[in-house]
Amino acid sequence: MSRPTPLSNRIEHWLPRLVLAPSLLVVLVAVYLFICWTGWISLSSSMIVPKYDFVGLNQYVRLWSTPRWHTAVFNLFVFSTLFLALTTGLGLLMAILLDQKIRVEGTLRAIFLYPMALSFIVTGTAWKWILNPALGVQKVINELGWTSFVFDWIAQPTFAIYCVVIAAVWQSTGFAMAIFLAGLRGIDNSVIKAAQIEGASLPRIYRTIVVPMLRPAFLSVIVLLSYIAIKSFDLILALTNTGPGSATEMPSTFMYSATFRRDQMGVGAASAMMMLMTVAAIIVPYLYSELKESRDGH
Amino acid sequence: MTNLKRMLLAAALGLPFAGQAMAQTKIEGLHVWTSASEVGALKVITDKLKTMGFEWQDSAVGGANGANAQQALRTRVAAGNPPAVMQFLGFEGLGWAKEGVLRSLNDLYAKNSWKAALPPVMLQFLEQDDSFFSTPINMHRQNWVWANKAVFDKAGIAIPTSWDELIASAEKLKAIGVTPIAMSDESWQIEELFESMLIDVNGPDFYKKAAIDLDETALSSPEMIKTFELLGKVRGLHDAGFTGRDWAAATNLVANGQAGMQIMGDWAKGEFLAKGMKPGVDFLCFPTPTATPNYKFVFDTFGGFKIDNGDIAKGQDAVAEAIMDPEVQKKFNLIKGSIPARLDVPMDDFDDCAKRSFSDRVAAIKDNAIYGSLTDGFAVEPRFSGVFQDVVGKFFVTDMSAEDAVKSLVDGINNAR
Repeated sequence: MSRPTPLSNRIEHWLPRLVLAPSLLVVLVAVYLFICWTGWISLSSSMIVPKYDFVGLNQYVRLWSTPRWHTAVFNLFVFSTLFLALTTGLGLLMAILLDQKIRVEGTLRAIFLYPMALSFIVTGTAWKWILNPALGVQKVINELGWTSFVFDWIAQPTFAIYCVVIAAVWQSTGFAMAIFLAGLRGIDNSVIKAAQIEGASLPRIYRTIVVPMLRPAFLSVIVLLSYIAIKSFDLILALTNTGPGSATEMPSTFMYSATFRRDQMGVGAASAMMMLMTVAAIIVPYLYSELKESRDGH
Repeated sequence: MTNLKRMLLAAALGLPFAGQAMAQTKIEGLHVWTSASEVGALKVITDKLKTMGFEWQDSAVGGANGANAQQALRTRVAAGNPPAVMQFLGFEGLGWAKEGVLRSLNDLYAKNSWKAALPPVMLQFLEQDDSFFSTPINMHRQNWVWANKAVFDKAGIAIPTSWDELIASAEKLKAIGVTPIAMSDESWQIEELFESMLIDVNGPDFYKKAAIDLDETALSSPEMIKTFELLGKVRGLHDAGFTGRDWAAATNLVANGQAGMQIMGDWAKGEFLAKGMKPGVDFLCFPTPTATPNYKFVFDTFGGFKIDNGDIAKGQDAVAEAIMDPEVQKKFNLIKGSIPARLDVPMDDFDDCAKRSFSDRVAAIKDNAIYGSLTDGFAVEPRFSGVFQDVVGKFFVTDMSAEDAVKSLVDGINNAR
């Protein structure tokens, strides 16, 4: 039967493309075009305003000769690793515990999810006071009688980055929990019942059956959290303002200060390109493997 | 026609004209002033502008030590929509003047002989390629010590005459249970301390070589190591809660007697005055101690962007004239806490700190001992002063040695050249 395709079929065929076209165009210009532009600037001698000359990789050499940039890169790895591991781990644990058909689940869920409703600026400012040894936790515990208790990580250049991790984990764990909880609710109960009949213990059921089945939830959590980790700019500014002594510098804060504070637009662009390449090096293979498998699976 | 109808007609015909006569050209000014004293001071300029027939359209972008305003400005210049008037600090104006986007004020400078009315050291920040592009409203002094008089009396401390004496008095304050020096772990606040030591201990000529000419021999000299060692002695003379503290919060610690003193520019004075405290009675202001008196300045200027509109150009001239008006400078600085940029404004109505600042400035101009503040962007371009800030901040909060600090300072400056 070779009849010409009816109009409605053709509309069905073209409509999704038509609808997506404007947003695709915006993404092309606002994301990819400006990535290229930043790449170009990073090869120029731009200082206060963009300058379109060519100085090769000079700005990258300058960038990697800046000790503060080394701190920033190191911090990004420490922060992202700990933040992803702790948030995912705690979020999963909380989701599993909440999934045990407990009472007041709704209330608890709201409480755990609530920090996500705050902006990082609020979280940062609140934790800045909580972690301040003269105002927060240390003071409270000292006044309760344990006078030798010291918790001044935020004042210690080597530990300050962990304060940023604490605040970020506090804010985002509820969010990871919510996604995992949704994933858990999607798992067929009969699978678990069958395993129980076979005599598997509850931890074993979770380890070998439930958690592997949460793979799509893991994908969402990890992609969204890495994106939060990289844009943690506002949290740093509010919590430590890159201090003490640039100890909590991040690539994003470095880029901002180079471009807008220190008139080193070329260096700023180079740091932005390094950030992009780092993220791409990690996220692209991960997305590729995850999405490829799901396509093969269906 | 009834009376009412006639009135309505007259109103309908007359209003557009009346409206035109009243409509003032709007002059948009982008600036970073958002605190109460800053806004109050700015109003002195805008009120004057109103009498000259122009309306100030306020665009205040506060926050991030001026970085937000700089970002807003870059975006707007790139989009071809610059503000009519922009506030500049330090090298910011020079950078834009080099790009050729600022309007020349040479005619006004010549007509009103403003050049002669200003301290000569200011001119390098107002002029690029023989063209004046901005006008200064004030001058802040950076190297001040602010002290609580009651606390000083209780500890039996006299005004120190050298940094060693100042540190010895700080130890005395510690002994009576007061935080000796109110400060923050923010790098720029530590740098305020460092740059005062740099000029006080080594003299103005060395400061010029190291912090302005960025001479490598001076930067890597034993004098530099000595300065870092002196800064190292201040480690531990602050309280534990100094993390991320705002400078004004530190000033308040001095004002309410929890801390003895603070080293900060004279924008700190407003915090004492706002509490009704009197200089010399409730609080003390004295320059950072030195054997070689010097004066370190910071000042605010306003310049105009080239905009193809005759009315706006007239407005930009009016802003410059308002700023350079001696009466405006007097009223503005009484509120802001600084002293007039002009040398010929009578100081009778000012407080003792401002009078001291004014007379010290005259002396420093004579002795060639007046230089721009490093921290606040009047010594070197931001990419260099940023390196000082990085190194000084890191040195203070870690156990870095003075030798290592000097080495990373030299490396950092060379990397930014």
